Amino acid sequence: MNLIVLLKMVPDTVEELNVASDGKSLDSEYLRFKLNDPDEHALEEALLLKERAGGKVTVVALDAPEVDDALFMALAKGADRAVKIPADQASLGTVATARMFATFLASGGGQITPDTLVLPGSQAIDDLEGEVAAYLGEALSLPYVGVVSSVSPVNGKVVVLKEFSGGMRGEFEVTLPAVLGIQSAEKPPRYVPVAKVRAVMKSAKIETADIAPPESAKALAVERMYKPEVAGRAQILEGTPEDIAVRIASLLAERGII
Amino acid sequence: MEPIRPILYNIHEHYQWAEYACYALGGLTVLIFAYGVWRHVRQWRLGKPEPVVKAAPERIKACIKFALFQGRLASDRYALLMHLAIFFGMGVLFIGTALATLDQDIGYLLFKWQFLRGNFYLGYKLSLDLLGLALIVGLALAFYRRYVLKPERLKNLLYPTFPLDSFYLLMILFLIAGTGLVVEALRLAASQVPWAHWSPVGNLLAGAFRGMSPEKLKGTHFFFWCLHALLAFAFIALVPCSKAFHLVSSAVSIYLRNLGPVGALPVAEPAGVARINDFTWRQLLQFDACTWCGRCQDQCPAYASGSKLSPKNLVLKLDDQLLKAARVNGNGKPATAEAAAQAATAAPAPVAAPLHDEQVISAAELWACTTCRACEEVCPVFIEQPRAIVDLRRYLVSQGTMNKTVQDALNSLNRYGNSFNKSDRMRAKWAQGLPVKIKDARKEPVDCVWFVGDYASYDPRVLEITQATAKIFQQAGMDFGLLYEGERNSGNDVRRVGEEGLFEVLRGKNLDAFGKVQWKNGRKIIITTDPHSLNTLKNEYQFEGNGVTVQHYTEVLDELLQAGRLPLKKKLTGRATYHDPCYLGRYNGVYEPPRRVLRALGVEVVEMPRTRDRSYCCGAGGGRIWMEDTPDIKERPAENRLKEAASLVDVPTFVVACPKDLAMFRDAVKTTGNEGKIIVKDIAELVAEAVQG
Repeated sequence: MNLIVLLKMVPDTVEELNVASDGKSLDSEYLRFKLNDPDEHALEEALLLKERAGGKVTVVALDAPEVDDALFMALAKGADRAVKIPADQASLGTVATARMFATFLASGGGQITPDTLVLPGSQAIDDLEGEVAAYLGEALSLPYVGVVSSVSPVNGKVVVLKEFSGGMRGEFEVTLPAVLGIQSAEKPPRYVPVAKVRAVMKSAKIETADIAPPESAKALAVERMYKPEVAGRAQILEGTPEDIAVRIASLLAERGII
Repeated sequence: MEPIRPILYNIHEHYQWAEYACYALGGLTVLIFAYGVWRHVRQWRLGKPEPVVKAAPERIKACIKFALFQGRLASDRYALLMHLAIFFGMGVLFIGTALATLDQDIGYLLFKWQFLRGNFYLGYKLSLDLLGLALIVGLALAFYRRYVLKPERLKNLLYPTFPLDSFYLLMILFLIAGTGLVVEALRLAASQVPWAHWSPVGNLLAGAFRGMSPEKLKGTHFFFWCLHALLAFAFIALVPCSKAFHLVSSAVSIYLRNLGPVGALPVAEPAGVARINDFTWRQLLQFDACTWCGRCQDQCPAYASGSKLSPKNLVLKLDDQLLKAARVNGNGKPATAEAAAQAATAAPAPVAAPLHDEQVISAAELWACTTCRACEEVCPVFIEQPRAIVDLRRYLVSQGTMNKTVQDALNSLNRYGNSFNKSDRMRAKWAQGLPVKIKDARKEPVDCVWFVGDYASYDPRVLEITQATAKIFQQAGMDFGLLYEGERNSGNDVRRVGEEGLFEVLRGKNLDAFGKVQWKNGRKIIITTDPHSLNTLKNEYQFEGNGVTVQHYTEVLDELLQAGRLPLKKKLTGRATYHDPCYLGRYNGVYEPPRRVLRALGVEVVEMPRTRDRSYCCGAGGGRIWMEDTPDIKERPAENRLKEAASLVDVPTFVVACPKDLAMFRDAVKTTGNEGKIIVKDIAELVAEAVQG
């Protein structure tokens, strides 16, 4: 199989996040980036598929701080090829990002063969709707399933498990090529020892693929970015559980809810 | 008539063919023995090269103490007495036989003169007789111990040589000694020499044969003489095939023991050990030197807690693999750097089976080790078990095979330099609450750098103590600073978990930060809170040469109190017990300073039964702190230890000198239901109480 994993760097929430003075973006002073968690799972699922069914794993990422580390880490884990598209990830919205990847895949860089699976992470902390994966399916005119937690190759197709809210799961048979937004791999992402990453950094190369950003890079403009504000509308009820229960019931009745 | 040794009594006269047969068999025995030894040497040479420090005088001294007089058996009086009796009994009898051979083959045959005569001969007879008796007593003690007392540690999971080896060894020695005495008794009964009472045991036994006819005595003597000779030759020839080989290998292992700091793991391949021949030749020699005594297992907290690990069985399994690999391989590779380089370029043939097979060595066994070094500390032949375990863990890590919690910790350590998944910028946050700011050692000149460590910097349970320690240092007027966010986890436990590459990265970053320190012209001192940090900074960072001294905070507190720089506002009272952290005590020999501190404060120190180098691990070392306990655990090491302390009469305080101990034992107080009976305190808390009033 031709497995293409899309990697994305996201702000590390271990560091304190602050709003920059422009009021529209994150303060970059303490900002650090890490690989998006679902993307790490997408890579793991690709590696598992490669181990089971054979094939080649290519990882692709747009430029972002610390992205080289993520790409080398992927190579150390067993990816065969790493490609960086030198376009600033932060300046692109989800539609533009999807288009960039679509252009890359349609160009010689990542040819969509009949046995191709494109595996982005299902979502990211700055793309909770999981738009990139869906837009990408659209842009490439490929079948798309998101929130996938398992992929099994069966007779030239794949059977995927998609998670729904409320603990429901659905099984889908998908023809290849396809785009699958991976929520979690079947196993936790593997550990790659530091010595191996360092060896890969010495021996392997990250390819670059120049793709021009689309004309209308941003679909949405941020008006204002702010931390959750204290509204002071909360009311604390005190007393015994019985008193509180009675009080809640009358409050709900007062407001015409019950 | 001068007493003189008879020349092959009876045999020389009546069975001369047997005399010749004896020489022939003797020669053959020596050849078989030599071949057997060579086979072992060849097995050791399957290993990788490892340089050995040359220090012959020191090594010979150690050989006399630990090999000849078996110094490390002293902790078990019974075993020591038994083993010394067997060893010296057998040894002296062997020397006696050798003297007899010289007396006859050199003295008598070449010069027609014997030195075994007169008083010397009588002394010789008496010594041999008494030591023969000692041998038999020793063997009886051994039989009783092994088959009646049956201590747990003598049970084997597997037998690298053959299953009844222990029985065989005791039995053949017993038969050799027994037939030897019978031969002597028969001779005395027949010859009735006037100096027979110089052989008291043989003479006593001779009484049993006095009624025999001279013809019968002659025949019986010959029979037992032959039996004795055959048994002795068989024993010697078979030494290399049985565990009796420890006569040779233990001595060699003791001679070649590690003379460097015990806290420094040798530089090794990050990929670790996958097959037996990936160990170094010195490690293979150690596995081969194991005497199956089980002292390591007796000390092991992992074994006591019911885990799959027994250091003894692990070593036996490794020895078993070595013997198997040797059978398959024939010729060993020469242990030289050139040969290793050659082997690396050519595709190495799979000479041995993979060790990481659940049927051979399970991952659970390897992860159970706390690297407390209690096993290594008691091993009579200086086997380095923790080192072998770390080598085997490295392979697991290189394959990414590890517990999820360890993986999370390593990922966090790699990214943030701490195991708490917290930003490296938050490392010195605890210092913000102090009234007096602590210097940044990278920006201002200092005398000391305090390497605070992960637990003391990030664990909310420990922060207050860290602040108290800082205030004590400030009160004593110490000129010290921190590395602030430049500090990383020291890597001690990272290394022992088997992540060599990450250890190197962490060490590199810390050394970079230390490189920025502007030392004043006094003593350059690095102080650590965590004994684990102390160990790696002191032994694995190679600071020496820069004149830097690495000290534990208990050593610093001791110096400050002794110098009168910390006047007590309040003398403490009461009794307390002190727990020696493995990495402070056994690893780095710091036993006295914390005790002196406690006594200086006015505390009466009551020792637990297992103290100092026999201290019992809390269970957190070697990366265990990042692992979950297995569900089948019998009793956590910390609980076992806390119960030991709680059983002391009227000792309400359990003093620790390691932030990990604090966490482990405060938990153990709760899980063992000892709240209200005993309280866990860091030594710095007590100092603060006394000096700050």
